[in-house]
Amino acid sequence: MPDIATDYVPIVIVTLLAFALSFGVLALSYLLGRQRPDKDKNAPYECGFEPSGDMSGLFHVRFYLVALLFIIFDLEIAFLFPWALVLADLGVFGFVSMMIFLAVLTVGFIYEWKKGALNWE
Amino acid sequence: MAVSVLFYIMSFVALVAALAVVLVREPVTSVLSLIVVFFNGAGLLILLNAEFLAVLLVIVYVGAIAVLFLFMVMMVGGASESAQRGQRYHALPLALLVAVVLLVELVLFAVFTTSEQTATPISESLQAVSNTEALGGVLYTRYAPMFQLAGLILLAAMLGAILLTHRRLPGVKGQDAAAQASVAKKRRVRLVDVKRGEGTQ
Repeated sequence: MPDIATDYVPIVIVTLLAFALSFGVLALSYLLGRQRPDKDKNAPYECGFEPSGDMSGLFHVRFYLVALLFIIFDLEIAFLFPWALVLADLGVFGFVSMMIFLAVLTVGFIYEWKKGALNWE
Repeated sequence: MAVSVLFYIMSFVALVAALAVVLVREPVTSVLSLIVVFFNGAGLLILLNAEFLAVLLVIVYVGAIAVLFLFMVMMVGGASESAQRGQRYHALPLALLVAVVLLVELVLFAVFTTSEQTATPISESLQAVSNTEALGGVLYTRYAPMFQLAGLILLAAMLGAILLTHRRLPGVKGQDAAAQASVAKKRRVRLVDVKRGEGTQ
């Protein structure tokens, strides 16, 4: 049985290196730098003013809409990948099956376009 | 050997991160822990040679669904401390019920599954093809009804999201590209003969 996991060893190594580098740099600057914190140094900096307003600003709901519409077409693409790999062996039925799937989502796409959900106001 | 070590590391990290998702107070930290769970799940899938599912988990769950959760957290804002304290054990009976059901299922699976069932060797024809090809071989033909149902669910999600969240703000000025491109000269420019000493009025 071909073991795919061994193909990912370089990716694991690069990931570990990235973690080591980022945490290493952070730790070095923490250890080597002189730490003399006081109240003003630890305060959040906002252009020299006293910080005003809530730290966690609220997002408008339209960001959510964009993310959700993105997920749906993301999934559509995900369904296309295995289909493209085996299309030659699938026959007419597999082809038509995917075309129906795409047509259903195209209906939704036309709806969202006409509704103006893709426009940023 | 290396595979089982990796398996234990990733399962452990995934379990700890999953605990952090429900135990951490800060909602954003909770979502970030969820991303750690997804990444470790993808790693476990790679150990099972299920490459496509692993990449899908990263693309869909980390790339899209976690972002959706983040937006949700930032849209709703953190609940105030006192409100959180009051509701902390609000859903405990329901949570316990779900946990017990899952535990019973796990135990039943462990007890009643014989070793032949878990260790069924993959057939020769499946070993020759990759995981992705095996998936594609049945998804669009044998499981076509489920596949079409997935398409309809996606359509319903799309329509629902638009109906629930899309509002045209009144008084927002926008561009109409078609109208801009189809402007004729006579609708914009008027040539007037102006007599000397008189105005255009």
